[in-house]
Amino acid sequence: MVQSMDIRRRILEITSIASAIIIWEIIARIINKKYILPSFTEVVTAFLELVSGGELYRDILTSLNFFAIGMGVAIAVGIPLGIMMGWFKTIDKAVDPIIEMIRPIPPLAWIPFAILWFGLTQYAAGFVIFVGAVFPILVNTYTGFRNTPRVLVESGKVLGCIKNRDLIFRIALPAALPSIATGVRVGMGVGWMCVVAAEMFGVSTYGIGWKIWHWNDLHHMDMVLTYMLVLGLIALVIDRLFRYIVQEWWLKWQTGVVV
Amino acid sequence: MIIQPLKIIAAILITGIILVSGCTSTPVQNGDEPTGLTELRFGYQPSTHQIAYMAADAKGWWLEDLEPYGITSTKDYLFPTGAPEMLAMLAGEIDVAYVGSTPPLSAIDQGLEAKIVAGVQTQGSDIVLANDLPYESPQDLVGLKIATFPPGTLQDTVLRKWLLDNDIDPKEDLSIISMTSSGAAKTALASGNVDAIFLPHPHPTVAESEGYGKVVVQSGEMWADHACCVVLVSQKLIDEHPEIVEQIIRTHIKATQYIIDNPDEAARIFSNKITAVPYDVSSQSIQDWDGEWVSDPNIELATALEYAKVQYDLGYTDKLLTQDDLFDLSFYNKVIAEMDEE
Repeated sequence: MVQSMDIRRRILEITSIASAIIIWEIIARIINKKYILPSFTEVVTAFLELVSGGELYRDILTSLNFFAIGMGVAIAVGIPLGIMMGWFKTIDKAVDPIIEMIRPIPPLAWIPFAILWFGLTQYAAGFVIFVGAVFPILVNTYTGFRNTPRVLVESGKVLGCIKNRDLIFRIALPAALPSIATGVRVGMGVGWMCVVAAEMFGVSTYGIGWKIWHWNDLHHMDMVLTYMLVLGLIALVIDRLFRYIVQEWWLKWQTGVVV
Repeated sequence: MIIQPLKIIAAILITGIILVSGCTSTPVQNGDEPTGLTELRFGYQPSTHQIAYMAADAKGWWLEDLEPYGITSTKDYLFPTGAPEMLAMLAGEIDVAYVGSTPPLSAIDQGLEAKIVAGVQTQGSDIVLANDLPYESPQDLVGLKIATFPPGTLQDTVLRKWLLDNDIDPKEDLSIISMTSSGAAKTALASGNVDAIFLPHPHPTVAESEGYGKVVVQSGEMWADHACCVVLVSQKLIDEHPEIVEQIIRTHIKATQYIIDNPDEAARIFSNKITAVPYDVSSQSIQDWDGEWVSDPNIELATALEYAKVQYDLGYTDKLLTQDDLFDLSFYNKVIAEMDEE
């Protein structure tokens, strides 16, 4: 019975994707203008060209490098700062107005300063991604800490956890982990979206985002769409990988709590 | 069990086809019928290359001359480079584009239906090198970072060809940094993030006047008498309103002659339109540049076809574009013949 349900679900998924592709192909053929909507077959041809030329791998690695720099720093800054703001009221009151003023500024607006502060280097691209990723991580970490059940903190104190350091690392941090995981996941999504902006100002002549701009300037919309789909596919892989890591290791203790 | 997904796919397909036919049938029918055109949409860039457009606009000549043909208003769109301008033309948002002669190449290659009907100007871009760097020959640029407009633009094409002509590999021997606007390129030079910029006027004069660097090479030295900006007109306008295209060329010739005869007034018109560049800088730019305002597309024909070859060799276009793909000289030749008779 469970196996039959699983097969039906798979068939439905494949049917949905196949339908979208068929509709895409039909619309593209009716429009018959490659620059308005390249067809599925044109995009597949462009993709195969990029794969056989080896260029795509270099573009993916370049973008992942920028992403790793931005995400690494966003995690290194966002989680500790979120912890401190969530646990210490004084720090929260001092830092919160600054964070709330900077948070709404779009990552794109930081590009001139990224160039001026970091030059046309990978760190400038990483900085733009950092700006996009850090706030979801910080806010979710902060929320996770603020929502730590009081009963857990009191129980910890009764059992000998008196120092702030012990309370943070033994009580509040494990309780906030699901919220932090959500923050990192959202931050990764936003950060990956910033890759396109981060590569538009000449930090490299490779990268998925740069190639989207490059082919857009030359009006090869089949290439633009191919790189857009590659961008989406990589985001999907990163997200699935992160969810697997979180479910299998980070929050394995949660298994059975909800489902 | 399999029937349900099949029903879903059939339903999605039918809905899709209905939507597509609904979305496409009306515009196609309307697009095929000539319409009474009342508004003309121009695209241009913030460069002294294209003052002819700005002069005709400032003097009110576009409206005045086109009114007898039913045009009651004109609208213009300012673009940082030719690439987004061509994208707007592909989307059908522009009827007439003042643009470099290379951005239309990749656009026409990818399906844009438009033709170059008049010339605008030749040469007129400079390499500005950081003040502390020496320059005696192109070899001095090896290992440096040069910011210019994106691939497919005139500056990118001229720069790459010139480097190759001087045995410098633009991919290996130096870095060409693609910038989406002149402002970004100048900021990069000012902050020391690039060593040089290659931009159209007035930007080299602006960079010099603000102390960021010095002009070391003019584009006429890189490629003598190379074509630069042109007037590109949509095929729809050519097919449905050839009389308007003829008048556009007449007005363009008048405006070009006016700015040649009155360079000071040309500088003033430019600074009034592009307020970020003061009059003294735009005036200095017009004195310093090696460009020449023209209206005859025949002057730009030979190098435009060479650009087509360069872009084809660089892999920017899928096919080698010919004169018939790019130019329609009949309007200019007819207008000139009529003017000669008068």
